[in-house]
Amino acid sequence: MDAKLKETILNPIFKGNPITVLVLGICSSLAVTVTMKGALVMALSVIVVCGISSLILSLLRNTIPSRVRIIIQLVVVAMMVILVDQILKSFEATYAIDKQLSVYIGLIITNCIVMGRIEAFALGNKPWPSFLDGVANGAGYGMILLIVAFFRELLGSGTLFGVDVLGWLGYTPNNLVILPPFALILLGCIVWVQRSVQKDLQEK
Amino acid sequence: MNTNSNTYTVIYTTIIVALVAAILALVSQGLKSKQEANEKADTISQMMTAARFATKADLQKMGNTAVLAKYAEEIGKAFTVGMDGEKIADLDLDKVYSPKDLKKQNYNIKDGGDVEIPVFIFKNGVTVVPVYGAGLWGPVWGYIAFEPASNTIKGAYFDHESETAGLGAKIKDDPAFQDEFQGENADFSVANVFDIVKGGAPKNADGTSVIDNKIDAITGATMTSNGLDAAIDTWLGAYSAWFNKNTEEE
Repeated sequence: MDAKLKETILNPIFKGNPITVLVLGICSSLAVTVTMKGALVMALSVIVVCGISSLILSLLRNTIPSRVRIIIQLVVVAMMVILVDQILKSFEATYAIDKQLSVYIGLIITNCIVMGRIEAFALGNKPWPSFLDGVANGAGYGMILLIVAFFRELLGSGTLFGVDVLGWLGYTPNNLVILPPFALILLGCIVWVQRSVQKDLQEK
Repeated sequence: MNTNSNTYTVIYTTIIVALVAAILALVSQGLKSKQEANEKADTISQMMTAARFATKADLQKMGNTAVLAKYAEEIGKAFTVGMDGEKIADLDLDKVYSPKDLKKQNYNIKDGGDVEIPVFIFKNGVTVVPVYGAGLWGPVWGYIAFEPASNTIKGAYFDHESETAGLGAKIKDDPAFQDEFQGENADFSVANVFDIVKGGAPKNADGTSVIDNKIDAITGATMTSNGLDAAIDTWLGAYSAWFNKNTEEE
């Protein structure tokens, strides 16, 4: 794998993470990180939507009239999101999760990461790198989601993926952790850690 | 080719939109039966949660087939009634009313159409009726279970489409709110059959709720609480005649 492709994949996960560095997709990362299960399904959905929309639009990139390109992007992303939502609704295992995530699956359409990557990358690059870029950005988003959800479920419910972890130790779940503000506090801590490790992210 | 000419743009967008619409329509048709099966099992588990056979979480763990089997085992009779409290028709025992069906009847109740609303009676005598109305962002609905031939509430379960997480969504997510209904009485002799009160329902000296037709609303979710209150009044109001008859007979 050449260096440029590797950079395409690794950059969104650490150095150019869409949530902690670009600060995109914050809304859903506050809303769907109460449980690991919800966060995982949301992360996978965003990876699929982001990857495949980037692929489709990269394939179409030379045919899209530039005046309506945003509309075409929106149509394709909306289609992908509806497909993911429909599929989640169809399986017994994911139906309850889909209900729990309710509007947030549909709101992937408005997740700035998806349209942002298409506009910034997929429309100017070949299909394969575009697909990888979409997937990697989805993964970067999903990784932060899972980290936040890990602490929120562990401290807020004493469980992980619904399995009791702290309960038998006599741990009393902290209700503050369940509420959205705590997700923002956690996100702030993650940004703090990342910035102290990567000094070049710090503003002078 | 000039991809920026008007003709090209119009033709291009038309084709893309038509293509996407076709794909979505196909997928939606293909997955419809599966989605309906999931929705039906979900509706049944909501009714059974209201009737206190198990908690919603436990029913969810059982899986669709087991939930349907348990329902088939427990359900005694199901039929529809009109505004006058007269029975209209028997329902198949595996028929449930989806939120969509309830929506249709909600219009009928409000606009004076032909009301035909379902009553589900389990073998242990517990009677379950649905309610439906408008919350803050979208519809809210649910099921209220009554003790056999009585106006005492055994349990309730509510669901919603898009109420605010952490506030209005508590009607579904907060078992404490649903537990408030247990043991309260619906008053079928007045128009305001049941009340979700802002500022606190009457309390006994020891802090427990007085047994009446009032419970506490959810803090921070006034619109959802009001919507649910209106839904319950509208629907239980529509069932009043049937309940009054039914409790007299026994």
